Amino acid sequence: MENLSKSFSRRQFLKYLTAATASVGAFALVGCQSNDTTGTDGTGGTGSTGSSQYADTLTYAQGADPRALDPAFFDDGESAKVACNIYEGLYRYDDKTTDVLPSLATALPDISEDGLTYKINLRQGVKFQDGTDFTADAVRVSWERQLSPNATSDMPYASFVFGSPDIGSGLDSINIVDDYNIELTLRAPSSAFLRNLAMTLAAPICSPTALNNNAGNISEAPVGTGPYSFVSWTKSDNIKLLAYADYWDTANAPKTKNVIFKVIPENATRVTALLNNEVDVIDGVDVSAADQIINSGFTLFAEDGMTINYMAFNTSAGVCTDQDVRRALAQAVNVEELVTALYGDYASPATTVMPLWMAPYASGVTPVSFDPDTAKATLAAKGVTSLTCITYTNPRPYNTKGGQVLAESIQGYLQNIGVTMTITPYDWTTYKTKVQTDPFDIAFYGWTGDNGDPDNFMNLLADPNPSMNISRFNDPDYNALIVKGLETPDGPDRDAVYLQCEEMVAEKAPWLCISHAKNLCGVNPKVNDFYYHPTGSVFLRGVTKNA
Amino acid sequence: MLKYIIKRLLMVIPVLLGVTIIIFLITRILAPDPAPVVLGEHATPAAMAAWRADHGLNDPIWLQYGHFIINALHGDLGTSYYTNAPVTQEIFSRFPATAELAICAIVVASLIGVGLGRLSAVRKNKLADHASMFVALIGVSMPIFWSGILLIILFAGILHWLPSNGRVSPMLQPTGGTGFYILDTLMRGDWTALRDVLLHLILPTLALSLYSLAIITRMTRSSMLDSLNEDFIRTARAKGLRRRTVNNRHALRTAMLPVTTVIGLQFGSLLGGALLTETVFSWPGIGKYTVDCVLKSDFPVIQGVVLLIATIFVIVNLVVDIIYAFLDPRIKYGTKADD
Amino acid sequence: MAKKPISQNLKLASIDISLMDDQAVALLEAPQDKPESMWRDIWEGIYSNKTSLISLAFIVLLGLVAIGTKIAPGVLPYDPFQQNLSIALQAPSLAHWCGTDQQGRDIFCRILVGAQISLTVGFSAVAISLVIGVILGAVSGYRGGATDTIIMRVMDMMLAIPSILLAIAIMAALGKGVEKAVIAIGLVSIPEYARIVRSEVLAIKESDYVAAARVIGNSTPAIIMRHILPNVLPSIIVRATLGISMAILDAAALGFLGLGVQPPLAEWGDMLGRGRSEIFRAPWLMLYPGLAIMLTVLAFNLIGNGIRDGLDPKTRKR
Repeated sequence: MENLSKSFSRRQFLKYLTAATASVGAFALVGCQSNDTTGTDGTGGTGSTGSSQYADTLTYAQGADPRALDPAFFDDGESAKVACNIYEGLYRYDDKTTDVLPSLATALPDISEDGLTYKINLRQGVKFQDGTDFTADAVRVSWERQLSPNATSDMPYASFVFGSPDIGSGLDSINIVDDYNIELTLRAPSSAFLRNLAMTLAAPICSPTALNNNAGNISEAPVGTGPYSFVSWTKSDNIKLLAYADYWDTANAPKTKNVIFKVIPENATRVTALLNNEVDVIDGVDVSAADQIINSGFTLFAEDGMTINYMAFNTSAGVCTDQDVRRALAQAVNVEELVTALYGDYASPATTVMPLWMAPYASGVTPVSFDPDTAKATLAAKGVTSLTCITYTNPRPYNTKGGQVLAESIQGYLQNIGVTMTITPYDWTTYKTKVQTDPFDIAFYGWTGDNGDPDNFMNLLADPNPSMNISRFNDPDYNALIVKGLETPDGPDRDAVYLQCEEMVAEKAPWLCISHAKNLCGVNPKVNDFYYHPTGSVFLRGVTKNA
Repeated sequence: MLKYIIKRLLMVIPVLLGVTIIIFLITRILAPDPAPVVLGEHATPAAMAAWRADHGLNDPIWLQYGHFIINALHGDLGTSYYTNAPVTQEIFSRFPATAELAICAIVVASLIGVGLGRLSAVRKNKLADHASMFVALIGVSMPIFWSGILLIILFAGILHWLPSNGRVSPMLQPTGGTGFYILDTLMRGDWTALRDVLLHLILPTLALSLYSLAIITRMTRSSMLDSLNEDFIRTARAKGLRRRTVNNRHALRTAMLPVTTVIGLQFGSLLGGALLTETVFSWPGIGKYTVDCVLKSDFPVIQGVVLLIATIFVIVNLVVDIIYAFLDPRIKYGTKADD
Repeated sequence: MAKKPISQNLKLASIDISLMDDQAVALLEAPQDKPESMWRDIWEGIYSNKTSLISLAFIVLLGLVAIGTKIAPGVLPYDPFQQNLSIALQAPSLAHWCGTDQQGRDIFCRILVGAQISLTVGFSAVAISLVIGVILGAVSGYRGGATDTIIMRVMDMMLAIPSILLAIAIMAALGKGVEKAVIAIGLVSIPEYARIVRSEVLAIKESDYVAAARVIGNSTPAIIMRHILPNVLPSIIVRATLGISMAILDAAALGFLGLGVQPPLAEWGDMLGRGRSEIFRAPWLMLYPGLAIMLTVLAFNLIGNGIRDGLDPKTRKR
């Protein structure tokens, strides 16, 4: 009896199981069949408004999900590209350069003689996307949370943009004169401060109402005054923005209704998505895909970036503390051949720390030249036969090939002059710790400029923090120049200071400067007026796509 | 039966505890310091030290573990170091993507796998058998990241038949709902979107199902071969039942016993295993996300994901064992048959 | 796929147990089989199956290439590690059968040399999981009781953690290196072997001849070594053959994710992973290493099939 009922239920169970599997399966098959013959319809949903000659949706694909969408809480380019369309600061960069222009301020600040007080007049009649009026209070609320002692350690750019009392730099106080006038007091004069205020990191102004409603972090519900308002964020997938109808700058009102930022991590897949008309613009294009993009009838955007890709010698320990050894090792590398082989036409061999478009005055600086025979003789005399090297594996904006390929090439050059170099590559995250903790003779690194100020580059070699200054270069003369540069107002005097810095780097060779990369983007030919700003921001308000 | 289930359920607890301990030890002892990533390039050593202290990383491991367990029991898995968002939110916003892909893959793998396996068994040592077995072998032998990229280049890059990445064209994306896009679009009757979702599913499903398909095919074949040799099948044939009926009604059904188990187990691991597929197809699920978090040393997320996957794995295994015990008359539950 | 090899087959292993029940029973019927006869069965299984035989030949050849290029790197037409940027990214030609890579190194030579690493990783990872897994499984099954419970619960825990995540975490923390990959891959497969061995030991230990050995007064380790392990061997050998192919795939997956070997070493997964960004300009960079992985894994799988057939009493009878 018991047996019978058991076998019955067993059979029933099987039947259900089979039925369930079959129905789901049949459905899947129908799905597949109906799709066989048809193609994809690109970005989909191009139900255009009819009147415009432009498409109403623009899709931009990038390699990673943003970290956050509240300007106080991110430090990555992926966040900045989205955020710079939602938020605005008091100042902004010119469309294609790092010259500073007023944005939510009406004019450049009125700076006092001693360089410590900035008087700023704010634009009137501006509304945040949630309807809140833009006033001096919004500036105070957006910034004060990032000033000491309010700032929390997870605000990665607070101390860079607004300084810190520990080192006596940056913004001391924000004084509200009236609703549309503020007065900033600095702890020390800084010629870079104004440029910091134009950055997309930390400086943009957030809606005080939104901050108040979201416990001071509007990462998931961003509200700014910019041309696009936030619609949705599907994590690891896409972010949707909508043109903001009441944008204050009517002359530059957004022309495309919907903007989508899509996350496609694989480089090759991103290119395929562009060529398959799934997305309209991609960034982070690998040099190797450039020809494919051009040959497929798409546009390759290639403009100078604000980066330096370099090889650092350890100047605090080991054989590379000897300047002659450093110079000899640099002599062994044919930088020009290396850069052409790795990056083709899409990076230029570096002679200076700063890209020359930032510092045209440094065009005469010449680093040690390629001379393997002299290098071999010097190193033999010094008894240098083997070196240790650490590097990163991932592609970086300044080195799209990744540090391992670069290190392998250098390994080859050194092998030619009888020096063995052992390479230990790490994933980027681990690597950032390793450069601070592990012994090495040679390490690979790079820098993407933040604000277009020369101090932002040259300061790296004066920084006491080994995470920034991985060479541990510590030269009192150089450090003095850096301090002087920050105190000198922009102009020929300041340029002269940084020219001196560049010359010192070329002579003392703490780094072997390798290349300045171009920013490469793939663009659908129907897209007009796209520009990838050297700071890594992508301002889409003027960008259109032909219908 | 009930006693067996309860006993198995109770055994889940020490396993999950053990899993969290293992992952805790690995993250706290082996993994690199998260502070440089979280605080960014401009962080000073002092700021990093302060951050580590704030996040309890200087406390003894057992204390950190205690905090974690107590909070986890209250449903709080902490916040991601990197994004500051709650871990539960980070995981569950991505989980439906992985689950949907895994379900589709297992459905496809089961249907085709059982079909091929049956064909193979019935036509033992004929051309169809060799062909099916060859497909199955190729399936287990190709690295998925290789076949995946080649599939993308072929079907999206060259032929332009299928989309290259993601789950759905953004403008057709269903909002709200369950996060399972097939379900969401079906419920809304949005056929354009459903078609788009299915198109996006084809390539990743194919890539992910290949391996399971191969295993299910082999399992079905060998299991069906066994059952074709059983006495009752011979009896059925002797009684003059049509060969086809015998094959389908009797042999395949009996053969389904072990196959069911394989399918269940394959599903459990597909969930955790979508990692490489997600990487290649830019699938916004937890697999790819977790690898990123491992590389970023985002401990709370790693702990959360591992706990989730381990739970699913243990439950799926439990269910499979119960189903098996239920289906197979030879297994007596309640005794020592649980392994 | 590589994820799957690591964890899925853990489960596969447990499936195999049920499948192999009959096989185990069959083996029990003839416990007096001499080891030589098992090897003969294996050989006959491979020999009677053309694809297995070809695969075996292929693997032997690959092994010879690996050893040959290790002992006498001079036999290769090009130095697989010497960079020559002037001939970077050349398409396949008569001079370079599989083209050259970013550093101007001959890909064919690198694939040949890469066999060293793939085979090393395959065999050593399996050796690690096999030795530890067999010991744990045998002890667990033979001793039973608390020992059994503790060992098997720990195995359950390892099974429940996505193993590729474990492997990634280990590799990310320790840095690249063949030996680290071997450890990472070897460790995560231990539970599979432990479970197989345990279940077979459970079946065998009550048999008469083991009981007899116990009566004679043999010690526990002796009984395990002399009487139990030889009988567990067949299923372990089948599993290990497949395990090698999985280890190779897993190593390739780690390489693909950028967590493989130290440069300038050549590892197939690493070559493939690094070549994928060049897919549009130089597709041969990922095509050939991928083929190498596929063929090798396929060969191990086919050999595994042959061995399985040879050891399976049912196929022999039929």
